[in-house]
Amino acid sequence: MSDDSTRISRRAMLAGATALSAAALAPRLARAQGGAIRLGTLTPLTGAGGPYGPPMRRAMEWVVGEVNAAGGVLSRKIELASEDDQTNPEAAVRAARKLIDVDKVAAIMGTWASAVTTAVAPLCWESKTFLTTVSGSDTITQLPHQGYLVRTQPNTHLQIGKLGDFILSLKSKRVFVLAAQTPFAVPSQKRLAEVLGKGGSELVGGVIYDKDKATFRSEIDQALKAKPDMIYLNGYTPDTTVVMKELYKAGYTGAKIAQGYAVNQKLLDSMPAEVSDGTYTATPSPAVDSAGYKRLAKFLGTADLDPYSCQCHDHASLVVLAIAHAKGEATGTAIKDHVRKISQGGGAKVDNAVDGLKLLAQGKEINYEGASGPCDFTDTGDIIDCKIRYDQAEKGKFKQVTIL
Amino acid sequence: MSEVAQLLVNGLVAGTILAVPAIGFTAIYAVLRFPNFTVASHATIGAFAGYVANTAGGLPAWAAVGVAFLVAGAAGVVNDEIVLKPLRPAGALTAAIAAVALTIVLENVVRFIWGNDLRGYDLPIRRDWQWAGLRIGPQQVENLVIAVLAMAALFLFLAFTRTGKAMRAVADNPMLAGIKGINADMVARLVNFVGMGLAGVGGMLLGLDTSIDPLTGFRVILSVFAAAVVGGLGSIPGAVVGALTIGVAEELSLLSLAPAYRTAVGFAAILVVLTLRPRGLLGERAY
Repeated sequence: MSDDSTRISRRAMLAGATALSAAALAPRLARAQGGAIRLGTLTPLTGAGGPYGPPMRRAMEWVVGEVNAAGGVLSRKIELASEDDQTNPEAAVRAARKLIDVDKVAAIMGTWASAVTTAVAPLCWESKTFLTTVSGSDTITQLPHQGYLVRTQPNTHLQIGKLGDFILSLKSKRVFVLAAQTPFAVPSQKRLAEVLGKGGSELVGGVIYDKDKATFRSEIDQALKAKPDMIYLNGYTPDTTVVMKELYKAGYTGAKIAQGYAVNQKLLDSMPAEVSDGTYTATPSPAVDSAGYKRLAKFLGTADLDPYSCQCHDHASLVVLAIAHAKGEATGTAIKDHVRKISQGGGAKVDNAVDGLKLLAQGKEINYEGASGPCDFTDTGDIIDCKIRYDQAEKGKFKQVTIL
Repeated sequence: MSEVAQLLVNGLVAGTILAVPAIGFTAIYAVLRFPNFTVASHATIGAFAGYVANTAGGLPAWAAVGVAFLVAGAAGVVNDEIVLKPLRPAGALTAAIAAVALTIVLENVVRFIWGNDLRGYDLPIRRDWQWAGLRIGPQQVENLVIAVLAMAALFLFLAFTRTGKAMRAVADNPMLAGIKGINADMVARLVNFVGMGLAGVGGMLLGLDTSIDPLTGFRVILSVFAAAVVGGLGSIPGAVVGALTIGVAEELSLLSLAPAYRTAVGFAAILVVLTLRPRGLLGERAY
């Protein structure tokens, strides 16, 4: 008798436990299938990247808005949580922690500065959150990210290789680098020395400076001592502004080249034309003829989109399509496993998320080609190829020189 | 040799400009006994006030510097009255932390109005003068003159006017000054006005040679703080000596250090001075 009662109560307990755990699981399952998909944006709304962050974020909000208006991903709405990385690794880590721990996002999109991406990436791969970035430093895809990271910006190796070719085509013989302290400063300088050396030109020296200083007179003295005929200004806008003015004051008359994110129209507007005239800029060129680019340009109300807005448009589209391809599994791991299945390969070409979702719903394979370019990734998360546009400042405005 | 001379020239120019906000910082410390880190945001406010006076108002640089002084000074008085004054009785640490918070708020107010973009003053950019292998810019010389004039005016004010003497009295012994009938509240307002005004002038002088954005003041606050500590917190001549020391040391460090480590010189200077001479080069009570 006593045996019997024990058995019954054990069975009852088992049943009870099962029921309880099922009850506990049920709402979670329901939420995972029917609730909103949460994604995060982490862009530089303030700091050196401040001019770029706001349109980057708007581009992603627009993609999400379009997808939601068209019924969401497998009938689930997407919710965006947006944070400001302040172009500052410490602030970025705090913001990323909030996105991962509080908002529980499946992906963080849009980190801009290489130092920020380097700081945020470990949080992402450890928490299995997918990270999409526009940072260019080589070191980023060399991190042990286990696939939880892709970038749409050409890496330093690719960009500087092309920049070196362009400098060679200008027949500059003595090139000097004035670089801000960033993760890409040293790799850039090495790569440039390599390319120039092969082409019969020479890197005659380089200075890496602290970009938060108010004046760089002494650094410029070092540069001019090397008697360069071309200076590569590898910094961000605030420090490059100062460096360019000081080069002019110091009487430097040789050529100058910089990245397009550093020497932009705002920089030209902030100084007299004689200081900036003749400066070349290199900008990864978005797919300006694509329909995706034109639609985004129309929405953002400008004919000339910066590459980062285009790339962020593609980040949001790629993430949404990868989730759809994973049958709605909105996790970083699912995005990691499916992003290359919708970004490259032999599927039907699509240039926006809404069309892609329709085709995926019909069971077709797709190959996303976005506003920034083909968006094809290597195993380590780099893009395979890109076009670079070269401009030259003339009377305070940019004039396109060539696209290579 | 000419390299060392050039670095010395650069360092002295940088140090003289740094001295202006450092004096403001140390003067406020002398009277109110807490490190008022809002010097950073008031330098930015001054830089933007001068920018508006220069670009929209069409004033020349020297007149715009006057506007920078008045606006930053007035902002300093208002901000202190509303935010920091009520917190000061809770102790220097509370006030210092509140000042850090306030400076971030003020920086973002500037950002809210003018945005993140870089702005340059409406001034011609002139080539440097070259002389015996050395070079110095006309704008640097002008800045030097403005900085020296501002400092001279302050010294004359403190040494010869009744209000200046009252300020020194409160800094020296607030209780005795109170017994003598000096209104400590008025002196606090005055030192805030002068101190933050000087911070504003410093911010504008920094921007004149370069460009300004909402972080202009924040970028130099470490050097300003280092200058004041090295010279002796609370000592006005000390701030000048400290600023020149930091300016020259940061430049001369380039002889042996990569430029990326230049900011570390300020920290190293604080460490060395606090270890060997905890009261700073001139001590805290030197006038």
